[in-house]
Amino acid sequence: MEVTHSIRERTITENSLVVLLQGIHGHVTTVDLRDESMAKGRIVNVDAFMNIRLAEVVYTDRYGRATHLADFFVTGRNVRYVHIPDEVNIIKTIESQLQKIHRVRNFGGEGQGRKEYLKYKK
Amino acid sequence: MRSTGGGWVCTCSKSKAWSDCRRRKRNIQPGKIISEDNMVLLKNVTPPCEGVRYQQSETTAVLDGKGLGSGTLYVAENRLSWFDGTGMGFSLEYPSISLHAISRDVSAYPQEHLYVMVNAKLSEEGGAAEESEMKEKDSEGEQDESDEDTDPITEIRFVPSDKAALEPMFSAMCECQALHPDPEDDDSDSDFEGDEYDVEEAEQGQGDVPSFYTYEEGLSRLTSEGQTTLERLEGMLAESVAQQYHMAGVRTESAAADFEDGMEVDTGSAVAGQFEDADVEH
Repeated sequence: MEVTHSIRERTITENSLVVLLQGIHGHVTTVDLRDESMAKGRIVNVDAFMNIRLAEVVYTDRYGRATHLADFFVTGRNVRYVHIPDEVNIIKTIESQLQKIHRVRNFGGEGQGRKEYLKYKK
Repeated sequence: MRSTGGGWVCTCSKSKAWSDCRRRKRNIQPGKIISEDNMVLLKNVTPPCEGVRYQQSETTAVLDGKGLGSGTLYVAENRLSWFDGTGMGFSLEYPSISLHAISRDVSAYPQEHLYVMVNAKLSEEGGAAEESEMKEKDSEGEQDESDEDTDPITEIRFVPSDKAALEPMFSAMCECQALHPDPEDDDSDSDFEGDEYDVEEAEQGQGDVPSFYTYEEGLSRLTSEGQTTLERLEGMLAESVAQQYHMAGVRTESAAADFEDGMEVDTGSAVAGQFEDADVEH
């Protein structure tokens, strides 16, 4: 998954569990919404504000009626749960996403590197 | 509002003539979009001209099952709007949109369309600009479900004549929605708003971004002028405390040792800050 170009979003992401959601792009899973409806589909993108875009979705509304939607976007505000698929290794996913973010910061060029991070030691 | 032969024609479903319309009887100006509880939600009803990411003409709008006819959908950065050719239409603020989706399942709805769920109840031609606090049901509306106990929602379907437009309509809405993050979300309040945490700067401060000096550090950084001022103030404190050393039974000498927050006044007889009585002005 491409690391966002927005510094603000990167900062928000690495300080919250959204970083995990950004690591499961491509997986099929269920998103429970605030109004007790559910959307099950393939995760296309999750941004720092937990806005979620899904593809090939079965959407079950709060009354239990299911419909099929080709593309689906829900605002982060309306997300209650995102089910993490069983096959996902949560710790490894978080670590690898954080590494991607740090790589973006460390490499110079294209205005994305910040030299002070060369000194940063874990 | 459409004008016919001198009288306004109201687009409200209940009556044809503006003069008969109960909205007029409630003294609502034409051209304002209102909700059932008389709240004026939007001030302008003109199509947006700035920040339009995508627009699609020949698009029918269906609001809670009621068709509004064909018009143009404008996906702008500030709001989502739809207007028919006569000036009737509505606008939605992105924070009021819970979700949007492309539906291609013709067994569920006969036309491929863009589905939008708004977290408020709208009147027929109205627009919701705000989060729904409205408990009142829209008694004029045709509703698919009863909303007494749950949050009211409005379902809008935009049916373009050109089905290939659905993808760019959807994507444009995604982009614009991302421009309106939830302001109430405390979790994403970042301590480092906009600026990435500067590690080198932090390392110099031994992990803390220094915002104040301890007493020892501070003393060493005082200019001579600053030192003079400090001595003068300490003198004033000492005078005032000397007059009060009986107060509260606190012994000045031993109390001074208790203050380790760098605010000790090192004159040997003063209690820093503790008894700033009215005698001394600082």
